[in-house]
Amino acid sequence: MNATTSPVNQYFKALQLDETDHSLSQELLQNCGIEIERCLECGKCSGGCSNAHIFDFTPRKIVQMIKVGDEERLLHMDALWCCVACQLCVDRCPSGIDIARIMDYLRERAVARGIPATRPTVELFHNLMLDQVHKIGRVSELYLILNYNLKSGQYLNNAELGPQMFIKGKLNPFPARVKKMDKVRRLFHKKPGQKGEVK
Amino acid sequence: MGIHKEQSTLVIGGGAAGIEAARILGQAGYPVVLVEKSNWLGGVLNQLASSFPRWEDPAQFVEPRVKELEKCAAVKVLLESVVSGCQKTENGYRVQIKNNHGAVEELQAGAVIIATGFDLMDLSGYGEYGHGAFPNVLNSLEFEAVLKEWSAGQKPQKAPVVAFFKCVGSRDRAKGYPYCSKICCMYTAKQAGLVKDLLPDAKSYVFYMDYRASGKEYEEFVRSVIEDKHVRYVRGRPAKVLPEDGRLLIRCEDTLMGVPVEVRADYIVLAAAIRPSQGTAEMAEMFGLHTDPYGFIEPEPFEPVKVQERVFLAGSCGFAVETLGALQQGAAAAAQAMAVLNQAD
Repeated sequence: MNATTSPVNQYFKALQLDETDHSLSQELLQNCGIEIERCLECGKCSGGCSNAHIFDFTPRKIVQMIKVGDEERLLHMDALWCCVACQLCVDRCPSGIDIARIMDYLRERAVARGIPATRPTVELFHNLMLDQVHKIGRVSELYLILNYNLKSGQYLNNAELGPQMFIKGKLNPFPARVKKMDKVRRLFHKKPGQKGEVK
Repeated sequence: MGIHKEQSTLVIGGGAAGIEAARILGQAGYPVVLVEKSNWLGGVLNQLASSFPRWEDPAQFVEPRVKELEKCAAVKVLLESVVSGCQKTENGYRVQIKNNHGAVEELQAGAVIIATGFDLMDLSGYGEYGHGAFPNVLNSLEFEAVLKEWSAGQKPQKAPVVAFFKCVGSRDRAKGYPYCSKICCMYTAKQAGLVKDLLPDAKSYVFYMDYRASGKEYEEFVRSVIEDKHVRYVRGRPAKVLPEDGRLLIRCEDTLMGVPVEVRADYIVLAAAIRPSQGTAEMAEMFGLHTDPYGFIEPEPFEPVKVQERVFLAGSCGFAVETLGALQQGAAAAAQAMAVLNQAD
């Protein structure tokens, strides 16, 4: 690889602060009510993050990139697709910054802009999960796992956990449907930021 | 027994600490001679455009205090004067006070309060920042004058970008001093916030290693500058300032991301280390006072302001201190002077 075009050197190219702005922070404030400038840069979010070991940017750095409005890097990062929204960072943050909501917002933005997920099966998983919700109003673990393993071609992925989950009643072949399905389906037509029930 | 108000107290320095000490002694009826080398009272406060943590105008404090001082019959203010000599006597010091015209006045003082203040470090050793070489690289007191101009309505036509460098000379074992100058975090936040208040389209950057805002309302003050006034804090010590098309290019590392950053500014304000003033050094030598390795006057162990028998310090001649702290020390020194003048054997 040519040294001058390697990603490492790109990363250490001086960031021009003059060209950065507050627009992304402003957007998050308006759309999600998140005040990024409250960040104390303490790193408690990253320290608590359950998936930081596989992230390319830790939660603290993600907040920092929002401060400098580095949208391109944020929408292309791998962490966007390995965050499981476990909310540990949110729970720990002394400034009450909802980082999980930020990740959601960024994922929505990446999908809207047609930027492919760095991990394709993650997108598949998200879509299959939403399909389930659309069909029966909730997630049936059994059908989600079956569909996911079939469509991603990893037929025996986590198969060893199946019997145990079945015994514990986690894999119900006859999942209950939500009664008011029309209400759930209407959620799918909600626009970003829209409040109240959708008609 | 009884209260003795015969002996004079000499207060050296007419800044915040000195006028506070003189005012309290004067209001209690103790004769005071206040010696000030310039021709105004209030010291550095007169140079400041605003104050922390409540954005008050320092002039609003200085004027009434000076008026109160002038009302005290017991207080004699000698402007444009310096203490030129002293001899220890049985119950105090015999002191010579020389004014601008060379006339010397002699005084027997039962107590001496040193309030000779601070200077900002000379930054000519920091060639990388170009103080002295580039006209728009200023130290923090020079920038207060700019802020005063802007406050008075003489605003620049185009909203500027102003970058503040903290810890220039402080926490620097190579070219400066190892200590933290204690007040820069707050006054830098004040200046950066004031820029945004006066010129809403201006941009303020503060380059910092950390901010140390320990004091009542100080943390909230700095946070409000970041969160409400949207001053951008960049963590890292700038490495170099370069001229670029009539502006100043700053090179630094954002140590939070580990990436180099560059930004172009119209003004650079250096929060220079606080060191003892020339007057502090002279008085320490004249009165034979203990000083620390940097020249700040050292009080006796576990004494807030007592330096030696009948000599007290107040304000930043002891160490960098904010206005409120200087006033507290001035008041403490006044109380101790009263105690020593009335010592019951």
